[in-house]
Amino acid sequence: MSSTSTSTPAAGSPRAFTEAITIKLRTPAKLRNLELVLLVFAIGITGAAVALVQLGALGEIDTAFIGYGAGLGVIAMVMHTTLRIVAPDADPFILPIVTTLNGIGIAMIYRLDLADGVEGWASESVRQMTWTAIAMIVATVVLVVVRNHRALARYRYVAMFVGIVLLLLPMLPGIGVTINGARLWVAVGPFSFQPGEVAKIALAVFFAGYLVTARESLSIVGRTFLGLRLPRGKDLGPILIVWLAAMAVLVFQRDLGTSLLYFGLFLVMIYVATGRLSWVLLGLGLFVGGALIAAQSLSYVGWRVQGWLGAFDPTVYEAQGGSYQLVQGIFGLASGGLIGTGLGQGRPDLVPLAESDFIIASLGEELGLVGLFAILALYILFAARGFRIGFNGTDDFGRLLGVGLAFVLALQVFIVIGGVTRVIPLTGLTTPFLAAGGSSLVANWVIAALLLRLSDTIRHQPRLIIEEDA
Amino acid sequence: MSELTLLLLRIGFLILMWAFVFAIVYALRSDLFGTKVRRMPSAAAANAAAAPVSTPRPVSNPVPAPSAGDPPARRLVITSGAKEGLELDLPADELTIGRSSDSGLVIRDDYTSTNHARLSRQGDQWMLEDLDSTNGTFLQGKRVSSSVVVPLGAAISIGTTTFELRR
Repeated sequence: MSSTSTSTPAAGSPRAFTEAITIKLRTPAKLRNLELVLLVFAIGITGAAVALVQLGALGEIDTAFIGYGAGLGVIAMVMHTTLRIVAPDADPFILPIVTTLNGIGIAMIYRLDLADGVEGWASESVRQMTWTAIAMIVATVVLVVVRNHRALARYRYVAMFVGIVLLLLPMLPGIGVTINGARLWVAVGPFSFQPGEVAKIALAVFFAGYLVTARESLSIVGRTFLGLRLPRGKDLGPILIVWLAAMAVLVFQRDLGTSLLYFGLFLVMIYVATGRLSWVLLGLGLFVGGALIAAQSLSYVGWRVQGWLGAFDPTVYEAQGGSYQLVQGIFGLASGGLIGTGLGQGRPDLVPLAESDFIIASLGEELGLVGLFAILALYILFAARGFRIGFNGTDDFGRLLGVGLAFVLALQVFIVIGGVTRVIPLTGLTTPFLAAGGSSLVANWVIAALLLRLSDTIRHQPRLIIEEDA
Repeated sequence: MSELTLLLLRIGFLILMWAFVFAIVYALRSDLFGTKVRRMPSAAAANAAAAPVSTPRPVSNPVPAPSAGDPPARRLVITSGAKEGLELDLPADELTIGRSSDSGLVIRDDYTSTNHARLSRQGDQWMLEDLDSTNGTFLQGKRVSSSVVVPLGAAISIGTTTFELRR
């Protein structure tokens, strides 16, 4: 693997013969070639999914739509080529995984459009493809502009400000919109977006930058209680502030998932920064306590919990805003069974919001448990790559940011799929990369771009390989 | 399009998805599962068993510890093992050592763990840290447990390879 070349021996060394050979650093395109192979595979899967949808739902192949899809494949290739130039050592798995998830999502949204009989700009799938193109271009721009992730650490307080403003934006009268009880959207004219999606990147940058400087004092141990080494009382300020913010989101924006997402992100990052389990236990205690009080005192939280625990109760099922959607999703999953009804051959359109919040139920119905687990495996691989990038990091900020970004995505997948499969109460978050929604797509592609950038600055190319039998 | 063709196509699609997952897992195999590590049969194993607990004080050695003003080591020289005599320039801040191809110095013998040890620079000193390896990292013959300062010319042993840092 490594190549050697001769160089001039350094003078004055006691063992001059050892300096007769030095190592030439290799600069391989190996990683990018692997990425290219996997990316072609990913585009192939997307094409196959769209073709199967057309065969299943229409009984024939419609080449026009496949043409649009090919356009997206070209943009993915442009991103791959950009990586060859600006980040040659970046992780080779992230782009193919994300492309596959996004492509499967588009195929499913297209399938639901066919069931609803909508075409052109009215259809979600065409809009989703446009957003995918925008998201990929934004991600490419991020890769080109952010050449060194350490520069982001300088903007940590700007990131904090941006994150808080984005979180508060939906609460502003006039532009904030309430959809399905949750106040998470902002609408300006015909455009609406979910600012919370972008806020998670800003907050991950802020938490990483803040914890790098604060980790020393936060890891000092105070009193020991029941064998648990608690942090000092005076260090509790930051966690209480984040907890209050999470509770404010729960009370005013009426969304348990968003609240859990940001608080979980902070807990994991403080745990990674300090290595103290007591922070996690303390934080979970605070959050569960707050959520229980909210479930008792706020009617909509209580409703969500009731719709979760008593989903099959006829009165809950038939109530306005009851468990109808959740139960329809579960019926869909059940009719899919092990290998699914086949793309284009089920009735996923019976579930309300099948193309966004419940896309996992739609995919589960048509691809079955086998297909759903393949999708989950892709998420696991993505998160595992992110943690790996964090683990291999050379600087503390990069490590924390890598772990934080990967975790926030994994937690979001858990919250959404846990909600749809009735593991936790249902919330209004989107499934990353799969669900219809522009702000979510852009935010998650930017996360992918940041992880690619981190992996390029971080990844160690072997400087020397010693094989025993060499 | 007959029912049977559609059934075959949709099973084919599921197989295609899993083939993609396994293609990634195959490319990642050493990262995900680690690599098989055998125990050192000889002296090192006895050494490891004899001194498993940490010695927090710096390892005593004949080489004087660098004083504050000294410039840090810039080269790593292999003094014994399969690639004896090779040297490489140390990176600016950190070098990871292990069997995984993500490591900066990859040592593939039977005794090296996937992520074995890490050399990191703190100011003008290089620190050596064992990443919970199976067979241990030895500085001047003593097993490293916590992070220790590496003096210039001190022998570091990992598996059957020994190297030292030089200026």
